[in-house]
Amino acid sequence: MNIGHLGRWSRLLRFAALALAILFVLGPLYWVAITSIKPSNDYLAVPPVWFPSQPTLIHYWAALFAYRGLDGLINSVIVSVLATLLSALLGTPMAYSLARFNTGGQHLSFWVLSQRFLPPIAVVLPIFLIYRSTGLYDTHAGLIIAYTVFTLPVTIWMMFAYFRQMPRSLEEAALVDGCTRWESFIRVAVPLALPGVVAASVFAFIACWTEFFFALVLTSRHAFTLPTVFRAFLGFQGSQYGESSALSMVSLLPSIALGILVQKHLVRGLTLGAVRG
Amino acid sequence: MTEASTAEHPAGRGAGLAPPTAYALWCDRNFKWLLVAPAVALIAALSIYPLLFSIWISFVNYDFSVPGHDFVGLKNFRQVVADPVARWSVVVTAMLTALDVTFEFLLGLGLALIMVQSFRWRGLIMSILIIPLFISPVIVGQVWALLLQRPFGPTDYLLSQLLGFDVTISWLTSPPWNFIALVLADVWQWTPFMFVILLAGLTAIPPHLYEAAELDGVGNWSTFRYITLPYIGPMITLAIAFRLLDAIKLFDTIFMMTGGGPGTSTYTSSYYLYQVGFQQFHLGQATAGSWLFLILTAIIIMGLVRRLLRAEAKP
Repeated sequence: MNIGHLGRWSRLLRFAALALAILFVLGPLYWVAITSIKPSNDYLAVPPVWFPSQPTLIHYWAALFAYRGLDGLINSVIVSVLATLLSALLGTPMAYSLARFNTGGQHLSFWVLSQRFLPPIAVVLPIFLIYRSTGLYDTHAGLIIAYTVFTLPVTIWMMFAYFRQMPRSLEEAALVDGCTRWESFIRVAVPLALPGVVAASVFAFIACWTEFFFALVLTSRHAFTLPTVFRAFLGFQGSQYGESSALSMVSLLPSIALGILVQKHLVRGLTLGAVRG
Repeated sequence: MTEASTAEHPAGRGAGLAPPTAYALWCDRNFKWLLVAPAVALIAALSIYPLLFSIWISFVNYDFSVPGHDFVGLKNFRQVVADPVARWSVVVTAMLTALDVTFEFLLGLGLALIMVQSFRWRGLIMSILIIPLFISPVIVGQVWALLLQRPFGPTDYLLSQLLGFDVTISWLTSPPWNFIALVLADVWQWTPFMFVILLAGLTAIPPHLYEAAELDGVGNWSTFRYITLPYIGPMITLAIAFRLLDAIKLFDTIFMMTGGGPGTSTYTSSYYLYQVGFQQFHLGQATAGSWLFLILTAIIIMGLVRRLLRAEAKP
């Protein structure tokens, strides 16, 4: 613990531990990346082929077109973007109201928080039946609504924490200057909170982008998202390593890039604003 | 309405402006509720309404193979409770959750302790270590299936080389290896979660505490035990609580890696309910089961999250 007085051995130990951790994180990712460009003949080679002599992009085309990965990708973009926007649009006002006026006291904020931990299986069955009878099943709209609700607790709690640490004085000055409450919210508070809104939205987007369970149950051949395409690779053990790896790369690269971009808000994002980090 | 005292009649005041309409005044008075209403309505529509609807489903016959929705009393609940697969799934869920959270906590804490000091490349290493958090659990399951699956995956080969004898483990199909594989995938994905939160806690410890301890000649272990741990205590509770509540929902990696198998041995509660509801279409039974599961979860939430809220309100 004693920061300044680490001996040579403990420094070496630390170095080894970090190297192992990095290897543990990157190793699996390297294997997927390499498998996605490996010719099929190399799959079962012993010893394993660590880098293919003839890399190929053929699996990407197969994953995107033969397995409808591209359709899944497009659906994922549509659903994630719109759900994120809707979540920010509805969540930010609510967070502001909770932070500034303590609306509904602890009960309302606690209720929102509890939604974050509600097991999806508990609501997805009735939602499935409701969607089937209202025509929302297997539509973009249906999944967007579901994802908006599923990300709202995150958005609301992150923005709640953000607004609470913003000074009130500017909004009060605006009120004195003749703004309505609505104007002081839209013209003063929201612009000041914009970095927070952006960060919260990125986390909401990543949550939608990586979500599987709702998409699995609420969509089928039309509105299916990228993660659900992986169902196609189940059961066919042995032949689709390249395709499934290629599709993995297509899905994980954008969300990792976004995640690294908002890295400094990560603690807030993971703890719904409870920890500042 | 204490807010009103900050400025009287905030709506449309000012010399030369038309007097506020009754509508504008009403909006202003109910401003805070108007901001909350859309989000609350949407959440209610997709959580309270389905939950109420599902109460009805759990007490009637709702099965795609048996027509009609007759009231059946507690039959659905009894079927779930009597089902050995359901009972086993609770055990599996508890076991996997306990193992996942324990390993993630220990590894996360270890990493955080290493990473709290500043050194060269720290920023880059930080960015690498958090990568798994941004990957879909489905893909994590897929990736680990690729790594472990025989004969394709390199794991058995690497272990053979490392240990010097032939390792032929069927990681995904033979217990206990399939449980180890599931824990491995979860630990890979969620250790960074613990790590990041605990690191934030460690960073917030004022250095003068350590300096004082050093002056007093307190040993490393005692410093850790009596300064570090108590200081990050609330953070530990929070990180474990969050992980616990997510871990008991485990579904995606099961779906991708073992498919609940072999047989039904790796069914978690979520996976069991999914199978009963969406593969066998015993919707009544699945809904009754999901209510039992929900009640179990709610008890944990009540205990943990309430305590967290109180802890958070303090500083």
